[in-house]
Amino acid sequence: MLKDKYQQEIDELLSRYPVKRSALIPLLYLAQRDEGFVSEGAMKEIAGLLHLTPPQVYETATFYTMINLKPVGKFHLQVCKSLMCALAGSDTVIGWVKTKLGIGPGETTTDGLFTLSAVECLAACGTAPMMQVNDDYYERLTEDTFDRILADLKKDGSCSLKTGPFMWPEPAPAKPGA
Amino acid sequence: MANQTTETVRLMIDGISISVPKGTLVIEAARQAGVMIPHFCYHPKLKPDANCRMCLVEIERVRKLQTSCSTVATEGMAVRTATTVVNDAHKSVLEFILANHPLDCPVCDQGGRCDLQDFSHQYTATSRFAETKRIFQKEYFSPLIETQMNRCVQCLRCVRYCDEVMDVKALAPIGRGTMTEIKSFGNHPLDCEFCGGCVQICPVGAITSRLSMYEYRPWMLKRADTICTFCGDGCQITVQTKDQELIEVNSAHSGGRNNGDLCARGYFGFHAASHPDRVTHPLIRRNGTLVEATWEEALLFVAEQTNRIKQAHGPQAFGGLISGRCTNEELYLFQKFMRLTIGTNNLDSSARYGHVNGVQAMRRVQGTHRWTVTFEDIVQADVLLLVGTNITEANPITGLKVKEAVKKQEATLLTIEALQPAVGTISNITNLSKQHLCVAPSQFGAAVLGLLKAVIEGDHVDPGIRQRASDYVSALSHAVRQIAWEDLAVSTGISSDSFAQMAASVVRGRRVVVLAGQILLRSQGGYGMCLNLLDLLLLSGKLTSPGCGFAPLAEENNDQGAVEMGAVAELLPGALDLTDQDSRDRMARAWKEELPLVPGGTLIEMVDRASAGIIKSLFVVGENPVGSLPSQIRAKEALSKLDLLVCQELFLTETAALAHVVLPAASAMEKAGTFTNTEGHAQAVRPAIDPVGDSRPDWEILSAFSVFLGAPLEYGEAKEILKEIRSVIPGYGSLGPSPIAPTADPSAIDRYVTEGYRHDVAIRYTLPPRAVRQEGTVQLGLVQSLFHSGKFSTHSKGLLQIEPSAFLQMNPVDAARFALGSGDRVRLSNNRGQFITTVKVLERVPEGLAWLPDHFAQEALRLFDCVIDPDTKVPSFRTATVSVLKAT
Amino acid sequence: MPKYELILLKNMMQPGYTGSLQEYERAGGYQALRKVVGKVPPTEVTMAVMKSGLRGRGGAGFPTGVKWGFLPKDYQGPRYLCCNADESEPGTFKDRQLMERDPHQLLEGIVLACYAIGAESAYIYIRGELVLAAKILEQAIAEAQAAGYIGANILGTGITANVWVHRGAGAYICGEETALLESLEGKRGLPRFKPPFPATNGLYNKPTVVNNVETLANLPHIIGRGPEWFASIGSPPKSTGTRVFCVSGHVKRPGNYEVPMGVTFRELIYEHAGGMRSDKPLKAFIPGGASAPFLTSDHLDVKLDFESVAAAGSMLGSGGVTVMEEGTPMVWAALRLMEFFYHESCGKCSPCREGSSWLVQTMRRIVAKRGQMEDLETLVDLCKNIEGRTVCAFGEAEVAPIMSTLKYWRSEYVTLIQEAEAANLIRLEPTVARH
Repeated sequence: MLKDKYQQEIDELLSRYPVKRSALIPLLYLAQRDEGFVSEGAMKEIAGLLHLTPPQVYETATFYTMINLKPVGKFHLQVCKSLMCALAGSDTVIGWVKTKLGIGPGETTTDGLFTLSAVECLAACGTAPMMQVNDDYYERLTEDTFDRILADLKKDGSCSLKTGPFMWPEPAPAKPGA
Repeated sequence: MANQTTETVRLMIDGISISVPKGTLVIEAARQAGVMIPHFCYHPKLKPDANCRMCLVEIERVRKLQTSCSTVATEGMAVRTATTVVNDAHKSVLEFILANHPLDCPVCDQGGRCDLQDFSHQYTATSRFAETKRIFQKEYFSPLIETQMNRCVQCLRCVRYCDEVMDVKALAPIGRGTMTEIKSFGNHPLDCEFCGGCVQICPVGAITSRLSMYEYRPWMLKRADTICTFCGDGCQITVQTKDQELIEVNSAHSGGRNNGDLCARGYFGFHAASHPDRVTHPLIRRNGTLVEATWEEALLFVAEQTNRIKQAHGPQAFGGLISGRCTNEELYLFQKFMRLTIGTNNLDSSARYGHVNGVQAMRRVQGTHRWTVTFEDIVQADVLLLVGTNITEANPITGLKVKEAVKKQEATLLTIEALQPAVGTISNITNLSKQHLCVAPSQFGAAVLGLLKAVIEGDHVDPGIRQRASDYVSALSHAVRQIAWEDLAVSTGISSDSFAQMAASVVRGRRVVVLAGQILLRSQGGYGMCLNLLDLLLLSGKLTSPGCGFAPLAEENNDQGAVEMGAVAELLPGALDLTDQDSRDRMARAWKEELPLVPGGTLIEMVDRASAGIIKSLFVVGENPVGSLPSQIRAKEALSKLDLLVCQELFLTETAALAHVVLPAASAMEKAGTFTNTEGHAQAVRPAIDPVGDSRPDWEILSAFSVFLGAPLEYGEAKEILKEIRSVIPGYGSLGPSPIAPTADPSAIDRYVTEGYRHDVAIRYTLPPRAVRQEGTVQLGLVQSLFHSGKFSTHSKGLLQIEPSAFLQMNPVDAARFALGSGDRVRLSNNRGQFITTVKVLERVPEGLAWLPDHFAQEALRLFDCVIDPDTKVPSFRTATVSVLKAT
Repeated sequence: MPKYELILLKNMMQPGYTGSLQEYERAGGYQALRKVVGKVPPTEVTMAVMKSGLRGRGGAGFPTGVKWGFLPKDYQGPRYLCCNADESEPGTFKDRQLMERDPHQLLEGIVLACYAIGAESAYIYIRGELVLAAKILEQAIAEAQAAGYIGANILGTGITANVWVHRGAGAYICGEETALLESLEGKRGLPRFKPPFPATNGLYNKPTVVNNVETLANLPHIIGRGPEWFASIGSPPKSTGTRVFCVSGHVKRPGNYEVPMGVTFRELIYEHAGGMRSDKPLKAFIPGGASAPFLTSDHLDVKLDFESVAAAGSMLGSGGVTVMEEGTPMVWAALRLMEFFYHESCGKCSPCREGSSWLVQTMRRIVAKRGQMEDLETLVDLCKNIEGRTVCAFGEAEVAPIMSTLKYWRSEYVTLIQEAEAANLIRLEPTVARH
């Protein structure tokens, strides 16, 4: 039960809004953080917390692409395929995933580590091609950086190549290093 | 919905000038001008959503085409609905809507009454769509309701109806974009109120009834507009039949008191009438068993036995019971038969189970036997107080009026109910309450007293009444002073602040309607509580204000008619006092015969007299005292002693099984007549099919008895009886679209506040006894379920799909306390006996209470104590304290 | 050194600037707030914004001060400010930078707007994917709260302005202001039909203003330096101030460039963004995000202001300029955007819901060389039947790529279809029967 585990956080979320239902997406995120996806049980519990019926939670949950109603891999590779990234070669990135991990869009590696989604624009068109892995952005991808990201993720669960706070182009006397 | 005022605006629609109330939508204004604008998503019951874009029109001086369903008509507006531009727009929108439609009209039940079909025809729609059509996989089947999402036009009328009108919110649009699909939750079948509203409001064949799937084409069906028999709301239904087969029920929008809305009982319960167990031939008991006989044999048998008993024991050896499900014509004829042909006032109807409490209270305080308000007043009320109604289950359509008042008109809803607010699969009126007092049924009386005390002590007493009836006010003030807030708090669990807050809300209201439901009316002290609620209105100055009033809710479809027809011992037709000489004289003149003088026995009194051997013969029309009364009344033993028990019945009930003669009666689907609903509105009942087997309408059977008994009460058809009713009760049942509510009689009120209130004030203004609930026990209550109505509906295959058997509803906390979960077997017991059933855990049941639906409670009745109201003789046996144990 | 004075990007262009409260204050931050809160009547703040000529930077370009002026004057209940940070228009990535690099600039703008319109609560509706930006904003809010710039008693004036970050969850349509409100209410992000407008019936049916991040970020500067100063920048009177243009696609130096409105596309693309990536000629560009119709090399001298771009047959929109070089297949490019719009159509109204699936399928067929000549006529018809008939502006947006590429590069469509016809000399009937 989310309530037992996150009572304080739930109360804080509810306190932000004059109408309970506004806390629905934040609570779906909470459930997703807890289980990796939003289960039926979680949706029912959230419905109870917000005095909604389960269908009311379900209709909202299914509208938004970031709410996963099914489990996804530990690392959710979301490669932007919109025009701006495509102009910079995002189809190639999807190709790399296929050759390096053996999965296409919507698929998960057998070890459950990686899921690939080809997604629409993630507001990083100036630094294309790019992908988001879980919460992190990786921009101006090359095959080299891509390989390093996969290796680091497998090894450490994170990768220092993630980008942000975002600024592009960087100020003229660009800072050396990262 | 835009607020409609009396102000009007004038606009032009296709050159037709029309004046409409300010706030009217263009699509409605056009309808009034006789111009039909095509639409899918618009429905007058729902807030505009403007999603289908079908109703686009040109408005002068507006650049883009506008949706007429979301545009409010304004002064001087010029609308064009038939220009080439508009026509092309309609055609193009239709082309889009048709693009993904499967065009499976040959196998679609909506075929022939489908908006998409009709508009396609109108616009000779063609489509250039040559791509792959969207296909939704069918993942589950819901009981009773079939969804075919490939046919869906995503207008969301079903979803919006389920939310805005029903407040159930069981349907939702799932997914996004073109893959949006109407579903409930995950791959789970629909679990909801099954009101059928989504089926009715779907403009295409996306949501249809599984009860009649593939059974008909609409044009093959014969239609009969009649009235539903499953509660006192009096909903208009249209029964559709193919020969003798009942195919479907629906209700036309804006039709009847229900405005086309129905509940599960009304929409899916209709098969009860055509159940194979119907008694289809007269039966006579020969050598201890009931055997088939001809009508002539049966009538002759009854006549001979009746004459014999009458000669030996006189007319007071007879009694009669009739069901409040019968028509006014039958109820009227029944009491006339008992009073004239037999010669006794020993007669009663199912109104005795509780409805009489409300009626007698109204008669005593305000001199009417009907509500002084109508459903329209409920919708327009600014304050609604509900006491013991569980309205969404017991009187679902009156419940819709309350929901409409709260959701659309922003009325303040105050509730005193044995209910916990909780969102569930069926609606719960307390979810909409501004203030809710959760009180056990046994303490409703205490809560009402708390409210009265708060009104009086909060100085809310209307100066008018204080001046006009100072004795009355001071007597009541004195009475409430005797009750301590501390005691009230112990009885009800409610603080004086809460009572004060609710009292202030009641007093602030300008249009205040108080609704009392079956749970209150059938409780011990129900009559006193009704009087006290009337006192509340009187003290706060609301009783005679326009739009204000007291509204006790009827359980049976014609309980109100039973009272008005005089089918209770103490009342003559017109609900006149039997003891009143003028009234007796009037009836005698009309009937050209003297009325019996001896006061009649009521339900329980008749059972007692049968038991004592005083009553030798009972005529029972559609009633089942053996099955309905708790075993301590010993109805079975009493009725077994009778020399003659005649039952007119649809089914071989527990009572009919004891009868000497059982006569097959026609159901309401098979006869004509009138029903009077809870508001006191008489409405026409029309036959949809011929009487099943050899069955006959009850009035015909009664008429035949009278002929065989040599005192003929002869009528050619039901209408002739109605004509006689009208001669006795002037203007009865004008059968207009809405009732004209009587106003409270000032002289009756005067009588009440001077003398009438006195004799029982002390009793009514005393806290009801507090049950000491011991560890391991709960207070068991008999309740009405949304899915059944008495035992009649348990013969409906549709309703049995949703609720097939008995179950005990229990709060999660209690369930945990007894280590019970949904589906577990549980044994309920007290010193009277025991009963085993299945548990269903529901949050809306308050802690410490448990509910058992009364239609399956037969076996459990032995657990209940029965108390008879000294004034109204109403037996109450709705609560019992029982021990709870998990059964293995 | 930049050619023009930077306003919005000024702080962050300072080497080492992290966007902390301390640094923002050191750069003159929160002075505008100190100048007006509790001292200048809110209506005067609104007047100043009107005078500045500031127009919405989200896409529609509605005058900000006028929008504020629509709030009912005498309404006593709560009012809300929503900051539209749902930056989702393909080609646009400026708000992300404004939020992640200089969050206090935005927060100061938000509090100023709250003060002007009398809102005690503001929600920053940020697109769900921008997790880092949301974190940065939440930290900044905490800092500002501690410093008394946000909260129950701003700068001791007794005025309340609470700010919360509310993350979206992946739906482009929530950038539409009424869909944003629905989403913020925990519902599906479906646009509401208008009227009523948010100014009267917004969040929770209360008077509400929805403003874009860049719009709000301009406020401290307008209030701080005066509306007249702001109105003198750009191409007054209708397009005042700077815009942060996001340049993407086939250029040497893609990225965000803040320039006064009124510079030409040629200057933006060839000077600021460094010209074409492979020195191939420019073939096409989208001037204002995916919703804006494509323009060609003939339009390079069009000025980057609201009127000029509109006159050229497109729109300045969200300021996302996507450049395509010679050789880019335009039908493919239009399909890519159509795929986006198909994916993001909320499904509320029939023309958009059904039209987007129809258009995308037909476009896929043409690109896959299975098209027919009639398809072109159908495409145009469908686009016309969607345009102007939907609940929100999404309808106009989704047909823009197809309509504009058909206008300028019809021959590319024709070539694809001719190739299809050549490959299928015996024409196969479509597999789905027509009706």
